[in-house]
Amino acid sequence: MTPPISETWRLPPRAVLLAALLLLVTAEVGGASMARFKLELARWARGEMQRHPAVHGLVGVRDVDERALDEALFRFETGLRLFHMHAEGMALVIIATTTIAATLTGGASRRALVVLLAVGGVGYPLGYLLWSALIPGLGVERGKTIAEWTFWIPFGCATIVALLWLAALIAARVIRR
Amino acid sequence: MSRPPLIVVFVAVMVIALGELGGAVLSQLRPAAARWVAARVVANPAAHGLSGSAEYDEEVRDRTVFAVEAGLSFFHTHAEGTGLVLFFTSTLVASVVHGVRARTALYLLLTAGALFPLGYLTYALAVLQLGRDAGVELAERWVLTPLGVAAIVGILGLAAALVRRPTPEEG
Repeated sequence: MTPPISETWRLPPRAVLLAALLLLVTAEVGGASMARFKLELARWARGEMQRHPAVHGLVGVRDVDERALDEALFRFETGLRLFHMHAEGMALVIIATTTIAATLTGGASRRALVVLLAVGGVGYPLGYLLWSALIPGLGVERGKTIAEWTFWIPFGCATIVALLWLAALIAARVIRR
Repeated sequence: MSRPPLIVVFVAVMVIALGELGGAVLSQLRPAAARWVAARVVANPAAHGLSGSAEYDEEVRDRTVFAVEAGLSFFHTHAEGTGLVLFFTSTLVASVVHGVRARTALYLLLTAGALFPLGYLTYALAVLQLGRDAGVELAERWVLTPLGVAAIVGILGLAAALVRRPTPEEG
């Protein structure tokens, strides 16, 4: 028999809420820093790129190199912007979905779902930060591959699997009612 | 805070999950998707107004690929947002709106509003099938506008309910 479910929301563990809030703060600080230190960040990234000419296909011809540097710099800034946006969004997703999991599921499923949703949600946006950090030294594509395999794929999959699992558990509850 | 009905919670979680899934698919399969879209445009020349001039047709193809990718990208970003909006607003409805009819009406409006991102999926598919202008027109008129209006009316209704009725704590 299915145990009755609470008619009010149950909060997820405090550590999960804290992780979501820290992610939210990091996102806000990241957004603010992007605006405040835009020039400094661009100057640093440009300097690093010029120290790795082969990675960025720099040939010593100003017209060609400028285009390559602008393109890599655009991706560097895109990575930072996507970190800011995803971190804000995922922090709220963590709060909402772990609250749902804490209320509507039980036992081992609840623990696994809360862990997957929290870890996946916090880890995924950090991939964008890593991508940006890697672009100047390793290039756009190599940086993207590393970020994909170390952050986006594992943490993104954790979140997607947990969300689909949670949706299936809720659907089962709806059908049983 | 009170919990909204399970079916509303289910829709919120599904919309967020589909948003995440859409983002993953978009990032992993972008080149393959772009190739498939370009092939579909060529296979459907009348809908896209292809003229036989290579330069012009290439421009049309690129524009269509861009529009389809934009539709998928908007689906990803909006689904993450509207799923959360449904979760938070329906929790407010469950907590502060007392009349059964009013609550049901608000749940229906807000749930329909959360499905708004499906309009962008329709947009992507319709642009591909009917051509850019006709596709955009179809998605806007039949999906984006009605679902968007439902979301706006639902949120305004919730705001009105908050203004008109005291919360249980206020008695």
